[in-house]
Amino acid sequence: MIDVVEITKQFPNGLKALDNVNLKIEKGEFVSIVGPSGAGKSTLIRMLICEDKPTSGKILVAGRDITKLKPNELPYYRRKVGVVFQDFKLLPQKTVYENVSFALEVCEACDNDMLDKVPKILDLVGMLKRKDNLPHELSGGERQRVSIARALVHSPKILIADEPTGNLDPVNSWEIIDLLERINKHGTIVILATHNKAIVDRIKKRVILLKDGKVISDRVKGGYVI
Amino acid sequence: MLYKRVLKLGLTNFWRNRWLSLAATLVMTLTLIIISTFAIMTLVISKTTDSIRDKMDISVYFNDTADISQIIDLQNKIASRSDVKEVKYVSKEEALVIFQGQQQGKKVANLIDASNNPLPRSLEIKGTQPEYLDQIAQYIGQDQFKPLLHNVSYQENKVVIQRLIGFTSFLKRMGWIASIIFVLISILVILNTIRLTIFTRKDEIEIMRLVGASETFIRVPFIVEGFLYGFIATILATILIRLGVVIITPMMDQYLGIDLSYRMVSFFSANFLLVVGLELIIGIIIGIGCSLFSIRKYLKV
Repeated sequence: MIDVVEITKQFPNGLKALDNVNLKIEKGEFVSIVGPSGAGKSTLIRMLICEDKPTSGKILVAGRDITKLKPNELPYYRRKVGVVFQDFKLLPQKTVYENVSFALEVCEACDNDMLDKVPKILDLVGMLKRKDNLPHELSGGERQRVSIARALVHSPKILIADEPTGNLDPVNSWEIIDLLERINKHGTIVILATHNKAIVDRIKKRVILLKDGKVISDRVKGGYVI
Repeated sequence: MLYKRVLKLGLTNFWRNRWLSLAATLVMTLTLIIISTFAIMTLVISKTTDSIRDKMDISVYFNDTADISQIIDLQNKIASRSDVKEVKYVSKEEALVIFQGQQQGKKVANLIDASNNPLPRSLEIKGTQPEYLDQIAQYIGQDQFKPLLHNVSYQENKVVIQRLIGFTSFLKRMGWIASIIFVLISILVILNTIRLTIFTRKDEIEIMRLVGASETFIRVPFIVEGFLYGFIATILATILIRLGVVIITPMMDQYLGIDLSYRMVSFFSANFLLVVGLELIIGIIIGIGCSLFSIRKYLKV
């Protein structure tokens, strides 16, 4: 499904954030990308969501090289890939419901579709009863659930989470990971970038270790080893 | 369906950020007022100077001994010059009528009559440009015409005419330069204000991009807002300029002693639709243009 082929990203100052990275991710996988800060996790994520282009190499998603997407094709790709960030990126002046429905609105979905989908997704992440609250009235864990709901509302094939637990306490973190695992069970590929050892050790799924822009290890049921 | 949603989003944004929208609209209003005021002022100045320039002429007075055929010959020669707009022959009788008209009600008016008329015959010459009067006067000053001539008005008025020519062209040029400078400053200010309104929403733009909004979808609400700035500002500016014309121009009349208010008011009412239309077009172009320019930065991948 996702095939990263010899990706190198070199910044203008000569620093190589990614150095000849090769990865294959199959349908339905749950992949953790771990490594210390500066290892290239975020750069790799940025490549996967097409926020940045590699210096060389290609990334095939469902057989299509996404590094060659034209600007007008990009929105359609983004609708197939859900993204969750450490800082949630919720719109502060919109309610929980509006934040999620906004993602459908911008994609030319029809109103009936929205009325149908948004409550279901909010229910899935356990936020339906708080749908009329504003983000600042929610806890960090709750906000991250809303941002996951927003990422899922397009029914994406791939969910990419960049340090989703970075701002959360252990209990909330674990609830978020639990949610990601449930989503994965429905068949969505989940790619989780994190440097939280406790989490990776407990997930017991495939772990890819990055260091200095290189893949150091790629184990099917690995813990966090450096 | 999509257009309705985008339009609604633009209107909602305009209202949600009403203080910034208000600031942008007011700056735009100011811009339009400055542009319109300068445009109107420049037009009035240029019309006034045109009418002053139009009054500049040369009068050539002939000796009573000069033969009428020689005068007509000279008139034809002058009229055939490319720098001459108009040559008018004034006979003794016409000169008398003009003189009596000018001195109406005064005793001097009765001092002379048709039987005892000392007023000379003359040619009144207007150049296509007042700047050409000098060379026309030189042509008339040639020796071959000397016996005919009693007097040429230009020699006396030369200094005044040249100073007026310099002054009016200076006024015109300064008017245009000042307009251009003020328009540029205003555009920079409005551009900055709109950039600010967009900067405060860069997170929103980023999120829209991440959830897969097309560029058009992101842009259109900002275009709607830019349009609104221009549209509302036009209405405000028109009202304020109309008020300003009514209130300020009579004061200007008092100080400057020229019929400026009449000119301004008549210009404004005669060209009302043109003024409003131009303001609307300028306002909307600046509003939408600045919005598109400012948002460009945040749409880059």
